[in-house]
Amino acid sequence: MTQPTPSPVLSTPLSLIAELTHRCPLHCLYCSNPIEMQKAELELATEDWQRVFQQAAQMGVLHLHLTGGEPLARKDLPQLIRAGRDAGLYVNMITSGVGLTEERLATLVDAGLEHLQLSFQDIEETSANHIAGTRSHAIKLALVPVLKKFHVAFTINLVVHRMNLDHLEEFIALAEQLQPDRLEIAHVQYYGWALKNRALLMPTAEQVERSIPIVEAARQRLRGKIHLEAVFPDYFGSFPKACVGGWGRQMMLIDPAGLALPCHSAAVIPGLKFDNVRDHDLRWIWQSSSAFNRFRGDAWMSDTCRTCERKERDFGGCRCQAFMLTGDPDAIDPVCSLSPDHGLLQTLRISVPDVLPIWRG
Amino acid sequence: MELSSIPRLAPGCRLHPTEDVLLIPEGTLNLTGPTREILALLDGQKTVEQVVADLLRQYPDAPADVIQKDILDLLSRLQQRGVVRA
Ligand code: SF4
Ligand code: SF4
Repeated sequence: MTQPTPSPVLSTPLSLIAELTHRCPLHCLYCSNPIEMQKAELELATEDWQRVFQQAAQMGVLHLHLTGGEPLARKDLPQLIRAGRDAGLYVNMITSGVGLTEERLATLVDAGLEHLQLSFQDIEETSANHIAGTRSHAIKLALVPVLKKFHVAFTINLVVHRMNLDHLEEFIALAEQLQPDRLEIAHVQYYGWALKNRALLMPTAEQVERSIPIVEAARQRLRGKIHLEAVFPDYFGSFPKACVGGWGRQMMLIDPAGLALPCHSAAVIPGLKFDNVRDHDLRWIWQSSSAFNRFRGDAWMSDTCRTCERKERDFGGCRCQAFMLTGDPDAIDPVCSLSPDHGLLQTLRISVPDVLPIWRG
Repeated sequence: MELSSIPRLAPGCRLHPTEDVLLIPEGTLNLTGPTREILALLDGQKTVEQVVADLLRQYPDAPADVIQKDILDLLSRLQQRGVVRA
């Protein structure tokens, strides 16, 4: 048996994801928020977030991502943006755009918002609204020309899955017309609510294969005009990705009630204890919270990972995925071809045609 | 990118106040050599030619033709990456 290497020197987190609220006007089939959401009355107060942003900047965090739910559901959003900027952070917001008027946007940009991300569900009204569980497609389209009036970076996210991957070309063309600064094509990740709809959303291997040259062609065509980033689903790979840049290595997520998580879906792993920013400062949490330390270093790894040279790159893959697929949070990510459970992926890739969607309530 | 172009940082891109990095949406670019000084000169009014002249004033011994080419190359690359507009 290989000896675990002593705990690595702690890196500095680079980004802070602030889930301001779980309230959201949309009900996406692929929502990756936890199934049990934090209630509005438990949400952190303005002062709590202000303190957290200060502490984050002092630790060396550079980017602040305001997300939710829908950040616009917070009345104090301009104050929160201002607090992030005053602390010295780069402020990004991920929004559905529902409820965003020109006036409101002006206050947000004025407060210091630097980057706004808007996601699209599909190319046409009916199916996009079907996926979002809400009539939001037209609202988003109408918002774009308003957005373009402001000096703020604008990213369009295309969320792709089995139901829309076959018209990716048209989907990219739609985004191109809207002229964002950046275009992200991201496959649904099967966490939180999305897991309930996995059988419905998981693309087939053929679909994914067909999409690759389409994305490449778009990347070439748009170079210098729209910066394109595409994330392919690791379900179809032979090696896992470094989930969130490695557990407890690059990012911290604070949920609406103040719990600090090493990754978006960390709560699915049983036995992890999350500390709250109401009780501890961020630096203490980063260094000492047991949840952050749980999968740092290689002591927890199986021998296969510990002796593998890729461990410095993928850190053994995604812990939540390993747990959800095998029931063991320490298992090798089954995406890895060296995992004894790699066969599970074959089963998941087979399409199940007659499943019904389940929307968020 | 030409000598007469007027380059500026794209929306959502700004220099970190103290570190040698450019903050961009979803990430950072590490700035080496005089890149930071060059980007700091982009004010949305100066042409590339004026930026070159400014830099030459700071480095009077530097070969003008090399500096000019380097700046044009750098700004074109950053334009391709979407962080500089002209
Ligand atoms: S995925 Fe959809 S439902 Fe879930 S938080 Fe985002 S916009 Fe709301
Ligand atoms: S064995 Fe472990 S470290 Fe090596 S590639 Fe697979 S998951 Fe990564």
